[in-house]
Amino acid sequence: MSVSTPALPAARIRAALASRRTRYGLLTALPVVIYLLVLFVYPILGTLALSLKDEQGGFTLHWYADTLTGINLSVLLTTLRISAETALASLVLGFLLAYAVSRMRPLFAALAMVLVVAPHFVSALVRTYGWIILLGDYGVLNEAMQAVHLPGAPYQLLYNEIGVVIGTTYVMLPYTVLLLYGVMRGVDRRLLAAAASMGAGRLVIFRRIYLPLVAPGLASAGLLSFILSLGYYVTPRLMGGPNQTMIASLIEQQVTKDYRWNGAAAQGVVLLLITFAGLLLLKVVGSLGASAKQRSNS
Amino acid sequence: MTDLGVATPTVAGAGDKPAAATGKSLSVVALRKTYGPMVAVEDASMEIAAGEFVTFLGSSGSGKTTTLMMIAGFVEPDSGTITVGGRDVTRLDPQKRNLGFVFQQYLLFPHMTVAENIAFPLQLRGVPKDEIRRRVFETLDLVGLSGFGNRKPRQLSGGQQQRVALCRALVYRPPVILMDEPLGALDKKLRDQLQTEIKKIQRELGLTVIYVTHDQEEALVLSDRIAVMRDGRIDQFGTPRELFERPRTPFVADFLGAANFLSGRVEHHTDEHTLVRLDTGGLLRARQHALAKGAPVSVAVQPGRLDVCAPADAFCSGTVQSVTYVGTLVRVVVNVGANCSIRLEVSARNAPQVGERVGITADPDNINLFAAESAG
Repeated sequence: MSVSTPALPAARIRAALASRRTRYGLLTALPVVIYLLVLFVYPILGTLALSLKDEQGGFTLHWYADTLTGINLSVLLTTLRISAETALASLVLGFLLAYAVSRMRPLFAALAMVLVVAPHFVSALVRTYGWIILLGDYGVLNEAMQAVHLPGAPYQLLYNEIGVVIGTTYVMLPYTVLLLYGVMRGVDRRLLAAAASMGAGRLVIFRRIYLPLVAPGLASAGLLSFILSLGYYVTPRLMGGPNQTMIASLIEQQVTKDYRWNGAAAQGVVLLLITFAGLLLLKVVGSLGASAKQRSNS
Repeated sequence: MTDLGVATPTVAGAGDKPAAATGKSLSVVALRKTYGPMVAVEDASMEIAAGEFVTFLGSSGSGKTTTLMMIAGFVEPDSGTITVGGRDVTRLDPQKRNLGFVFQQYLLFPHMTVAENIAFPLQLRGVPKDEIRRRVFETLDLVGLSGFGNRKPRQLSGGQQQRVALCRALVYRPPVILMDEPLGALDKKLRDQLQTEIKKIQRELGLTVIYVTHDQEEALVLSDRIAVMRDGRIDQFGTPRELFERPRTPFVADFLGAANFLSGRVEHHTDEHTLVRLDTGGLLRARQHALAKGAPVSVAVQPGRLDVCAPADAFCSGTVQSVTYVGTLVRVVVNVGANCSIRLEVSARNAPQVGERVGITADPDNINLFAAESAG
């Protein structure tokens, strides 16, 4: 008996490998596995190796120290700050928009969602230039504000942080709206009626019932737009100034101008780690949300 | 919020007894609601006394739920007035009516514990924390769920969830508690058990309850009075006994008593009874009715009010088609003519045999006459 027990898992694995289904499964998965190994795993490992090598090929943490000090650190912090601002802005706007859409009749809701999503079929570059035309000193928005003699107009809406956040928020909005819309549609409106029957006013119902029920969705939407903003390149490049340099631009600059591949690799790894941490958090929040949904269904 | 100041002394005076506040009266006058061309509720009027248990009984589309929703404030009536304890609430928002509502789907707040759910309406009313804790505990105890306070609603069974919903609706002692088919989602056994509990609590606390159901048995078990609704109108509003023994319309006789209907013409009137010549040929003695001689009538009589007898003494006779035992009673179907059969419920001891030729008799006072709806 005691001899056969350790042999059991091995026997099982062998049996599983021998089964036709497993062999067939492995065979069909093979192209994807190779594709990922060659084009995803190998480059990442390569980048990791690069980030740990000094000029002579020896091991060093110099590039990481470099990434986390001086100007590089401030770029990293700018990236985090702009991403957080974008997450917040797209969350607030997305919440309002998703709420409005979730209260519409299904047909109008579908049309509204098309309006939210459709601009994103246009190339990012074109959209960004569209914003530049709208937001410039002599752009449509500033001209209009001057025409009505708004005090302080024209405002500087481009080549600063406002410009970048406007641009990135616009990119993130469909994600937050779609996510929040789904969560909001899942809220049982009768729960709100139940609260009203007990004497709760609109504000109390919103704060004590509605908000807690959509909270998991808010957390995931915020985290998602934060993560997606971290690596954003085009918009900050075109709509921001030198003070809004984000980490993706810095990496590009190091590679194409300074030929500092090792430094760029270290920055890439740091960006990747932050993204992974965000994704992990998103997964945790998501599973919390799933159990909340289960609760509201029961 | 403003009437809280008035309510608090009564609460303090109630002292040791849990939720000793009693229900208030409710009156509904000429309530009407239309949806486009469809009339959902028409001319609904009733006076409900404090501490009374009233059921709106009807099939779906009868207007019972719409009427309840108008009382709750979720549906605005086109015309008519609703008064609770003398206060006109017709145009108030639901949250300002201070009523209790128990929904069929429980609708407990999933993100709150059982205790938090029950505490919620008390918090809205600014009740002090200590008292909230005490009243939540007492109310849970009342429905046999003490010790469940820290659970989340999803950890409870359907019956337990509905008990918590009941607690949540009565913990703040609303003058009237409205219930919309609260037991509709539960299985038969649990339903019977909860009916008994609801009735017991209602009687102990003197609650005014308006209950909506399509289940006549449930209505009979629970209610002091029943309003039978059909096509947006109240067909009859009375005690279960009145509805059962003196139905005002054939619909009520059918819906509550599953009555047999026979047609005939008024033959003549005696001092006490009206005699009807049935289409099947027999002569039937029925409760007095002011119909003219020769007028076509519809005769309604409940299966339980009929008995078998010798064919010679019967108002009609026929062949026993089937006999079904249901405990101490036997359901008998007698074929009394072409396409015409009568259902009886008789004591098992009097059970006839299938194929036997029997007569059917009934106490004239249990036979109700209605003017036939179409004289043709």
